[in-house]
Amino acid sequence: MKRKLILAALIFLCFILQTTLFKMSSFLIVSPNLLLIISCAIGFMQGKKEGIMAGFFAGIITDLTYGRLFGRYALIYLLIGWFCGRYANIYFDEDLKVPLALISGSDLVFNLYVYLTGFLFRGRLDIGFYLKNIMLPEMIWTFLVGIVLYRILYVINHDLVEKEKEGRQSLWIRE
Amino acid sequence: MKKKLHFSIRSRHLLAVMVILCIGLMLLSFSSEKAAKPLRSGAGVVVIPFQKGVNRIGTWFSEQFAGFQSVKALSEENAELRAQVDDLTAKNSELAQMQGELNRLEALYKLDQEYPEYNKVAAEVISKDPGNWYSTFVINKGSEDGIKKDMNVLAQGGLIGIVTETGGHWATVRAIIDDTSAISAMASITSETCIVEGSLTSMNNGKIRFQGLRDPDGQVVEGASIVTSNISENYVSGLLIGYVSDISLDSNNLTKSGTLIPAADFRALREVLIITDLKQTRENED
Repeated sequence: MKRKLILAALIFLCFILQTTLFKMSSFLIVSPNLLLIISCAIGFMQGKKEGIMAGFFAGIITDLTYGRLFGRYALIYLLIGWFCGRYANIYFDEDLKVPLALISGSDLVFNLYVYLTGFLFRGRLDIGFYLKNIMLPEMIWTFLVGIVLYRILYVINHDLVEKEKEGRQSLWIRE
Repeated sequence: MKKKLHFSIRSRHLLAVMVILCIGLMLLSFSSEKAAKPLRSGAGVVVIPFQKGVNRIGTWFSEQFAGFQSVKALSEENAELRAQVDDLTAKNSELAQMQGELNRLEALYKLDQEYPEYNKVAAEVISKDPGNWYSTFVINKGSEDGIKKDMNVLAQGGLIGIVTETGGHWATVRAIIDDTSAISAMASITSETCIVEGSLTSMNNGKIRFQGLRDPDGQVVEGASIVTSNISENYVSGLLIGYVSDISLDSNNLTKSGTLIPAADFRALREVLIITDLKQTRENED
């Protein structure tokens, strides 16, 4: 329970940062997607169910504040969380390649989804432009920020899991 | 693995349930805009104070950083007076910060004077859309401050957007450069109307598109100003949108289209003015 609350607080923090500090400069400069990194990381480190819930939570805050169609972001984030959770069985300590590949790939899928649901049907057909000016820059940004953020999340997750294990082994404070 | 004693759900089922939930929410909010309203207001109450706080810290940092750069130049010149310089620059950066604020507020005041016929309220920008696809932002005034949906928003130079949603002390504003924005506008010389559309493709060059402008005498040239039209449903008339950057005849030989440079500065978006007079339409006439 405690672990879930901490993770929820982390997602919330990412959302706050993503809408304020990372957006300080301008609309014209592409910013990284922290919510995607954290949904991916939680799915990868803890499994499908956690990924789904983390993604859903990340998406629902976006929907509640900035969404145009309620549930639109929740759906894609939870699918991404679930997808990354499928790779939880190959989660090894200290490995960065797989999670970063998952994060970058998911970011591209996420933006394609936003494009398909929000732009294509309004007749904005120039996908090459959007790919070059939004999707790829965001992917690179998310990748770079992901290197740092995933590390931090990894340490936090490690601590949480260790604490939970200790708690379980002790007879007195068993859940 | 721990053997769970309580009821446990399989991930496949959880996925199905959550996906159906999301699609259900989408259909619900698609069918009626009001359905999600109470939830959104609730979220606003929780999220907004955090965003306000973090944003203030960010502003403070960026202003400190701006001051720091001037410190650097000075200390290189006057190494022997470093102690004095340090003392002075502390004051200096404080003053620079105040001066910057003064300039911004003066510009806002000037803007207020430009449109004396409308009542306005000033507000601060507190957060922006988390993605890179839409240009919407949230301001720190809401329904309790008298802000209503469809009120027009000005920033340094001209029209910047329109209020799309309000909560207690926050309101969402859609910028005119947003891809889903379309405004009925007119050329101020000829009063011929056109449509000004935000678009991601042209926004990249800092421009927005306009189309459907009738201009048989070729009076609308580069640099001509485009303002909101008197027949617009949501925008009050005569607000400066921008200046024509290029214009060309459409293939129908009747209308012209092109791009314009928005008059408002979208880069340093910090304070905005909201026009509290709504456009008079048949529906909202009392």
